[in-house]
Amino acid sequence: MSDNAPLLSVKNLATTFETARGEVPAVGGVTFDLLADETIGIVGESGSGKTVLARSIMGLQPRTNVRVEGSVQLDGTEIVGASEAELRKIWAVDVAMIFQDPMTSLNPLIRIGKQIDETLRLRLGLNKSDAKKRAIELLDLVGIPSANERYMAYPAQLSGGMRQRVVIAIALACSPKLLLADEPTTGLDVTIQAQILNLLDQLKSDLHMSMVLVTHDLGVVATRTDRIIVMYAGRIVETGTTKEVFAQHRMPYTEALLASTPKVSDASHTRLNAIPGRPPDLLKLAKGCSFAPRCQYATERCHNERPELESSGSPSHLFACWNPLPLPTNRTASSAGSEA
Amino acid sequence: MAVIKYVARRLVLMVGIIFVISVGAFYLIHLLPGDPATVILGGGDTPQARAALYKQLGLNRGIVIQYFVWLNHVLHGNLGTSFITNESVVSTIKNAFPIDVEMIILSQILAFAFAIPLAMRSAQKPNGRLDKTASAGSFTLLSIPPFIIIVFLVLIVAVKLKIPNTGPASYVSIGQDWVVNLESMVLPAVTLAIGSFVLYYRILRSDLISTLQEEFITLARSKGISRRRIMWRHAFRPSSVALVGTAGVNIGGLIAGGFVVQFLLQIPGLGFTLIDAINLSDYLLVQGIVLVISVSVVLINFLFDFLITIIDPRIARD
Repeated sequence: MSDNAPLLSVKNLATTFETARGEVPAVGGVTFDLLADETIGIVGESGSGKTVLARSIMGLQPRTNVRVEGSVQLDGTEIVGASEAELRKIWAVDVAMIFQDPMTSLNPLIRIGKQIDETLRLRLGLNKSDAKKRAIELLDLVGIPSANERYMAYPAQLSGGMRQRVVIAIALACSPKLLLADEPTTGLDVTIQAQILNLLDQLKSDLHMSMVLVTHDLGVVATRTDRIIVMYAGRIVETGTTKEVFAQHRMPYTEALLASTPKVSDASHTRLNAIPGRPPDLLKLAKGCSFAPRCQYATERCHNERPELESSGSPSHLFACWNPLPLPTNRTASSAGSEA
Repeated sequence: MAVIKYVARRLVLMVGIIFVISVGAFYLIHLLPGDPATVILGGGDTPQARAALYKQLGLNRGIVIQYFVWLNHVLHGNLGTSFITNESVVSTIKNAFPIDVEMIILSQILAFAFAIPLAMRSAQKPNGRLDKTASAGSFTLLSIPPFIIIVFLVLIVAVKLKIPNTGPASYVSIGQDWVVNLESMVLPAVTLAIGSFVLYYRILRSDLISTLQEEFITLARSKGISRRRIMWRHAFRPSSVALVGTAGVNIGGLIAGGFVVQFLLQIPGLGFTLIDAINLSDYLLVQGIVLVISVSVVLINFLFDFLITIIDPRIARD
């Protein structure tokens, strides 16, 4: 990657599941670029299409009843429409995924060391003893103590945090250019979460990887991403640099998402700010803005016409909203008046 | 060592079950109406024979003592001598049992050789054309009883195709001529294999389908390894616990239930010998065969339970 071409270029990516009840547009036309060494955070509620998006970027959908359209270019290779045989060549080597739930994503009957060196032997062509040596190095790298002995352990003999480290070691085995981390800390204790995130951060810069960090937890992305994509009902509703999204978000959904994160400064027993309503049923998407039914600012237009992503002046900051929130300076001016 | 503890517990349980079986087999003779001596001697009821039998079995002593006398004989490999054929029960069983073993081994090799690859193909594309065909076909086979299957097989293979030594009563022991022996084993092995195949195919297919939905399979896919490797290395073992458990029960059933095939094809295995013994009222032989069959079933179930703990050591832990 010597030129300025993005490592990953996603254009109008749409993933539709064909179910017995009808077509479910889990991802409905997503476009974004990712530069080398960059980390982008994808946030949204459960069911907003984050995981499906991450898997579609990699081409790792279920084999049947799914339709993917649009384009995903990874370092010049088109992923959408590629056969699984073609994808196998880039999986692990160019792009790897860290899975969500370390309790279910490791094979329970294979020693963890064997699960790591499988990739090394089959994809990098290492011989048995070199693969074992490298697998132990990787276990060490992801911070597993006494890696030598743990190489022989079965997943059930490790804690959740340790298992997630193994999952990370598997993803790192072939030093991929792009790492897709799908809720890498959701199943873990809070203290372990921080450890894993710091580890990812450090490995990412040490190994010069780009990363897509998928999470529902805004606290996770706040300090560890360059840019953020906010998703709702399978679409991007706001995107910008991390700073822009946190400090100058315009989309009411982003605000609601930020407001729903509890703060340490809150008094005890403060009621959590839940977003009213539920995420929409993807089978019955309204023609207007999908968030309109839950949005306190929604107008007639929001229910009837879908807003497209538009720039707000800063070329990096886009949002899809008919009634965007005012910028923070105006916000304080209009509400308090005296502080500005 | 959870596995060792588990096996030890199983072993104790098995000894208990075998004890109960031995009491049952022993008591079989006493359950029949009349004096046990009359039952055992049948047509050969002469005063001399009666005196010999009383001495052999200790029939004038209490029943508990009789049991232990009998058990002592059994443990020393002595199941008595038939008063009908004048042959030792042990040697009759020794001639018959290997036939069952051979028949079952051959049938199981056939059943697994077809069931495993076909289940894998089916599970790759559930409800695909191959899966639908194989499922419908296996269901059809399941609904045809073995005694019908065997009649058809005899008609086609032995009568129409005239393949030598495949018809009824063509059994020859391995020692005599192994080629003829194998030929004579084709039909019984195939017949027994069909039932097992259907069972194994259906169980493995559905377990593979659910294993393939697991997250660890998606992770294995993301490593960029071949489908074949995912199937054999990652999906097969976690999917084979129910298969192996079923195989244990099924094989036990074949030992006890192989007599239909043996009777129809006149193969002198245990089942065939048992029918003969019942017809001749040769109750010592019946007792011996019942004991051998029951103990074999228990041993096989124990062996397969043990196999399961090797496949998935987590089972031994709880």
